[in-house]
Amino acid sequence: MEHEPKKNRIRINLLLALGALLFAAATIVLWFLLRPKPGAGGSFVIRYGNGETLTVPADETRTVVIRDGKLVDEATGEGDENVIRIENGSARMERANCRHEDCVQQGVLNAETAVTRPLGAWIICAPHRVYIEYVGDGA
Amino acid sequence: MKIGTLTRMALLTAAALILGYLDSLIPLVQGVPGIKLGLSNLAILFAVFYMHPGETVLLMLLKVGLSSLLFGNLIGAAYALAGGVLSVAGMLLLKRIPGVSVIPVSMIGGILHMVGQCLVGFILISVRPVMAYAPWLLISGTATGLLLGVAARGVFYGLERYERRNGA
Repeated sequence: MEHEPKKNRIRINLLLALGALLFAAATIVLWFLLRPKPGAGGSFVIRYGNGETLTVPADETRTVVIRDGKLVDEATGEGDENVIRIENGSARMERANCRHEDCVQQGVLNAETAVTRPLGAWIICAPHRVYIEYVGDGA
Repeated sequence: MKIGTLTRMALLTAAALILGYLDSLIPLVQGVPGIKLGLSNLAILFAVFYMHPGETVLLMLLKVGLSSLLFGNLIGAAYALAGGVLSVAGMLLLKRIPGVSVIPVSMIGGILHMVGQCLVGFILISVRPVMAYAPWLLISGTATGLLLGVAARGVFYGLERYERRNGA
């Protein structure tokens, strides 16, 4: 690479770096344009295990416990466990024993926050393969 | 494998593991899974530019395997392996372009790492939720790739100056 003229070297490196920046910027613009904007009065779809789903209406008050990919009645803190709380039209990951607890820090999901949150209409626990999606009425 | 190469591989693997552990202690963006500085990729970047491609791939496999064994789990290993394979393959190909510097190579490596993680996310979670935060992963991959590239450039410059001074 020492034999390449300096002008060419600078051009190649600038082109590659700008290409990378433009690609990343374009995905963010697309995200803003294409993200779903669910309406109010919907429900929460919880996916767990090998694709099983549980739908809970947003106006219900309920605690859902998932352990090792299965719905269970009570939280024990054993295995791969997520505790999801649904109340007042909102859902949040109340507790999870995954390593970084990213899903717990993802905050409250409801009709309003589904439009403003970085993760949109989802709360995702990647290590435990559990996610909650807010689906608006008529979606 | 020659003794010099073996020693270098051992040193780089140890450096990658320590940097990876330090990385896990630094919360970069809370709440978005998969976003971190990727400090251990400094060792991989060094291997891309100064070692044989086969050794670079072996270093990446050792880093993924050992860090998953020591600090992670099987699912984390799947994400790291997909990201590692794609980014190392991409960086080794880019390195073949005459005159290319470590900064754009690191940036594109960062993006490819996140693309690999998203592909595993599509399989293990689902396409739609992963698509919801894929842009944030790609932006963070580009930014951390830029930072690491600048750091690696400084390290390479220092090493080359040391070699010139000592006639190595």
